[in-house]
This record gives sequence, C-alpha cells and structure tokens, in this order.
Amino acid sequence: MSADTNKFVIPIGPQHPALKEPANFEFWVDGETVTGASVRLGYVHRGIEKGAEARTWVQNLYLMERICGICSHVHATAYTLGVEKLAGVEAPPRAQAIRQIMGELERIHSHMLWLGVAAHEGGFDSLFMYSWRDRETVMDLLEKISGNKVHYSANLLGGVKFDITPELAAEIHKGLEFLDERNRFYLKVVNQDETFIGRPRGIGTMTAERANFLGAIGPTARASGVAHDIRVDAPYLKYSEFPIKVETHTSGDLHGRFIVRINETFESIRVIREILDHLPPGELTARMPRRIPAGEAISRVEAPRGELLYFVASNGSDKPERVKVRTPSLCNWSTVLSLAIGLKLADMPMLLTGIDPCFSCNDRSVSVKRGTQDSSMWSWEKLRHYGIEYYR
Amino acid sequence: MNLSLHPILVLLIFPGGLFLLASGLIYQWADRKLIARFQNRVGPRFIQPLADTVKLLAKEEIIPTGVHKGLFLVLPVIALAAALTAGLYVPMFGFQPASSFRGDLIVALYALSVLTLTMGLAGANTISRFSLIGATRTLTQLFSYEAPFLLTLLGPAIAAGTWQISKINDYAGQNIWLMIAQPIGFAVSLIGLMGKLELPPFDAPEAETEIVAGAMTEYSGRGYALFRLGKDVELVIGLTLVATFYLGGLANPLQFVIKTLALLLVLALLQTAFARLRIDQTVGFWWRAGALLAVVQLIAILLGRYFTTVF
Repeated sequence: MSADTNKFVIPIGPQHPALKEPANFEFWVDGETVTGASVRLGYVHRGIEKGAEARTWVQNLYLMERICGICSHVHATAYTLGVEKLAGVEAPPRAQAIRQIMGELERIHSHMLWLGVAAHEGGFDSLFMYSWRDRETVMDLLEKISGNKVHYSANLLGGVKFDITPELAAEIHKGLEFLDERNRFYLKVVNQDETFIGRPRGIGTMTAERANFLGAIGPTARASGVAHDIRVDAPYLKYSEFPIKVETHTSGDLHGRFIVRINETFESIRVIREILDHLPPGELTARMPRRIPAGEAISRVEAPRGELLYFVASNGSDKPERVKVRTPSLCNWSTVLSLAIGLKLADMPMLLTGIDPCFSCNDRSVSVKRGTQDSSMWSWEKLRHYGIEYYR
Repeated sequence: MNLSLHPILVLLIFPGGLFLLASGLIYQWADRKLIARFQNRVGPRFIQPLADTVKLLAKEEIIPTGVHKGLFLVLPVIALAAALTAGLYVPMFGFQPASSFRGDLIVALYALSVLTLTMGLAGANTISRFSLIGATRTLTQLFSYEAPFLLTLLGPAIAAGTWQISKINDYAGQNIWLMIAQPIGFAVSLIGLMGKLELPPFDAPEAETEIVAGAMTEYSGRGYALFRLGKDVELVIGLTLVATFYLGGLANPLQFVIKTLALLLVLALLQTAFARLRIDQTVGFWWRAGALLAVVQLIAILLGRYFTTVF
C-alpha cells in the first residue's frame, strides 16, 4: 500500500522473475485490474556514449557492438555506416551483402528468442523450450560464419572480416531450411492453439493512429498496421537490390505482434537465400583513413526491435567527438504504459514483453533521484563530482 | 490386500509419515522429469527433490515483519499434517486404508482442501503484495474447482452406494472401470486435480512472471519445505483417489504403481500442452464447463440408478 495515494501498487522489478534485465514498473491495481502504470529505467546505464569519446574509431566498433547482446551486429552496422559516411568511404558490394546476411540472421535469432520469452511470460513453457532449442540452429550458423555466437564482430570500418564461401552458403541454406519448417510450425501453434490464443488476443489493442501518436516503431507498430520499416523507407546496405516486404498486421493486439514477428522471420529467410544465390563478387574491405574528417552524420538501420538511430560527430581526430544512440526499445515504452490501463495484472508480463524490450540498450542517460528531491538531469561535471564524493 | 500394523507404525512409517513423504518426493521427481522430457530438457536427477527439501530444511527461516508470527510458523505444519491425514483414508500402495469409516471420503477431501486453505491464509498473513494477490488467487481458484471436483468424486460414490473409500475401492475393482462408465466424471476429476495442485495451466496463483511465487513468496527455509512436501503428498493422494475411483480400484501395490504413474503421465502431458490461464479464465472455465459437465454426469448417474432399480 503506498502511503500517499492509498492505491495498491504491484512493483515489478528491478529484480523480478518476469524481467531478464533490471527495470522498475509499478502497476496500480484494483483487484486484478490495472488502473495505472509507471516505469523507471536506468538501472543498467553503462556510460557507453561517454566511453566512446575516449576511444578511437576502431575501438568504438567493439564497444558499440556491446550495447546490446541480442542485436549486436546491427549496432556495429549503424556505427560503421555513420563513420563511413563521414569518411566518404563505401564498403565494397560483397561486404555490404555479407553485412545484410548477418543482420537478417540476427533478426531471425532475435525474433525466435522473443517468441520463447513471450511464451514463457504467458506461461507456455513448452513453446519457450522448443523455440530456444531451434534458435540454436541460427546461432550455430552465425558461429560458423564468424566464430562467435553472440558478438560476431563481423563489421570492420570499410568492410567485413568474414567471407561467405560456397560451402558455408550451402550450410546456411541447410540451416534455413530447418528454421523455415520450424517457424511454420510455430505460426501454426500461435494461430491455432486455443488456450494460447486466449492470452494475447484482444490484449493491448492499438490502432494505427494511436501507434503513431505514441511514437511506436518496429514490429510493435507494424502489428498495428503502420507500414514503416527503415529497410524499405530508407534502404541501406543492399536492401535496394534485395528488398524485403514490410510485414504488417491489422489486429494491433499482442497476437498480431506474434504473427508479424514470425512472418518477418520468413521474410528474413527468403532474403538471405536470395542474397546467397546472388552474392556480389569482389573485395571484402575498402581502405579507411585513420583520422575521420570533421563533420556529423546520422545513420538509421532497422534493428529487430525497430528503427535504430546513430548520430556520429567527428572533430577530425582519431576519436569521435560524440556518438549518440537511440535504441528502438525506448520509443515503445509509452505504448506499454498507456495500454496497460484497464487490463488484467496477468496480462502485464506479456504486454511488457510485447514490445521486445531491451533494457540495457535503452538506458542512455541517468536521472538522479535523492530522497524527496525532484528528479533532475545532471551535467557530466556534477555527476563526476558526485561520484568522487560518493567514493571518497 | 490387507495389512495390519501397529497404530504407531501406521502413523509414522506406513502409510502415513515416511512412506507418504518418500512417495511424494518420488512422484514430484517423476512429474518434473516427465515434463522436462516433454519439453526437450534433461530434467532433474532422481535425488533432486530430496536434496531440495534437505537444503530448505537446513536454511534459516526468515520471518518477515508485519506477519502474525505464530500463524506464520504453524500454518506449514497444519498444511503438511492435513495432507498426511488424508493419506490414512485412501488405499495407499494398494493396501486397505489404514482407517476407514462411513463417510471418510468427505473427511479425506476436506483434509486435502485444508492444505489449499492454509496456503491462502499463509499468503494473506503477510504484507507482501505478491503474497496477497497470490492468496486471493489461490482462494478464488479453490472456490472454482472444488465443487466440480467434489461432484466428480461423488459420482462413483453414488454408483457404489457408499461414501466409504475402501468400499468404493472394492466396488470399482469388481465392476467395469468407472472411467468407461463415467468418462465425463473421469476427465473433470483429473483436470480438477490439476486445479487443486495448481499445476499448469491452472498455476495462476503462483505465476512466477506476474507475482513471483504467489502466496509462498515470503516463505523460506522450513516453512516452504513443509508446504512443498504437503503439495507432493497431495499429488500422491489425489492420484490415488482418482485411480481408486475411476481406474478399477487398487487391489495390490503393482496396480497402485502402474495406475497412478499412468495418471501422472497424462497429467504431465496436459501440463506441457497448454499455456497458463488467467485467473478469470480459470474461474470461467470451471463454472461454465467443469461444473456443468460434472452436474450432467451426476444426473446421468442418478437416472441410471433410478432406471436400474425400477426395471
């Protein structure tokens, strides 16, 4: 019972079985019905943007990849695209195609991971276990290409590290065959299992207007019929030569998000096959200067969770002046908070997972709250001073 | 089969006490292992439930602030005692029940419900918000499955013309399996047992992704171990009851093992096949489908008895 408002508040987080990463949600409930919601983020702020300013352009490549453990490649891609734009260098076509393959493989593994987590939140552990078992296939493919399952480090400034040989391509084809078949099965489960449909159908329904108003992006918005996808709207890499189809759904509820994500997996599988069959020949890397000319660049890519935006500023040295990252999870929080009201407490874990949140990616700034003081933004100097005082 | 033992042995070793606790742990292991295999996991080792229990018993029991201390400590004991008491009236391991009198079916069912009631009370006793919601859900669920479950166990009792478990056991052994004669009752009783044990998909009272461990959130150490043991014992007794009533009775230990394990296999399959129901869905399910089917079955039995006696 919170003292001031006399409301019954259910806290979820920072430590809670439903959350795999720390964040704090408070749901005000009346019986089982949610009457209000609030979120508090920032538990996993790591100061990466500041850290980037102290590292060289090449070192930052590895740092950026570590912003997210699931969509690591897409962060590095967005960063390299920005830096390459500043340097006026374009990666060779083969390198771009390989980047796109890695990105789409990553999307498959991210969406299958989400399917498992969402099923688990809904109490359907069998689907969770099965989808994660099958997800190993795509992770093994990534390992075969790069030697790593999570942080592939495929990108270089001006190209990629790993080539895809015909033998490797054959193996990827084989793996995709299996994934295609399994995802068809999951689509059937999601569409036909009556006890399962009872949980997501009609929950968190969002019209296209509302999605736009709340600034929703990625599969969350596409499930509401907003046909917005950076891969189509502003093609990067080889997306203009090997285009994808934007998957949308009209229902706008959680069930629609399941369908959109599974359909996107099929689309990724299709486009990877197409690229593998028409892989452009040529070099893997272009020459890149050590110092990047002064200037500013914005690069946008479509991460598995939605639009990922990088702002890179250079002052002509071998270190960036500023790197700003805006991750998709941050844009979707408002949809969770506004849709929560009126739903049941039991729907909350699924609603939270519905946007496929990635907490450690989106913790970009710190707001310090002390006692009864209002929360306020602190400057770097003040924060540094506070840290020194705190550990004195 | 009949077995006459000294009353002290009956209470401490067989069928009460040690035997029930051991079988509870074994059935918990079998349940977990089966589910794990269905879900393509490896599952726990045979010794795991015992290891869990020993570990919990060895741990410090934290008494949170804001609880009634006496109630907090005594509720787990009552829960386990109630479950063990119910074990005296069922044909455990295929032997005649240790204690038997007219109407012991009601006593056994009541003892099993006490376990759920104590869990609800234990949750309501704390000031933890997860526990309070969990307790509300536990008790809500109790009111939804209890009536249909009771009705389905009354079906065989009416068919046998007695409310004494040992006599129903004899009747079930001599006649056609009641699973075939009363299929609806069998299905509802099996699903009712899942509701009673809060197994998936009826695990909303302890849905970990929503309310951590539900009513049990504040329990640690000994209290939690006792509640868990109580649940394991309830699983064995519930399986024994359903097997006695619907699977042609339990005449010897071999039948007991085969029939209860077959039931457990079905339970494990059902647990893996479905997603968790929301508490409102659970209540709706039981009152719209469960209770209605149980009543239909009961009316069918009564009509059947009426016509067989008239003609």
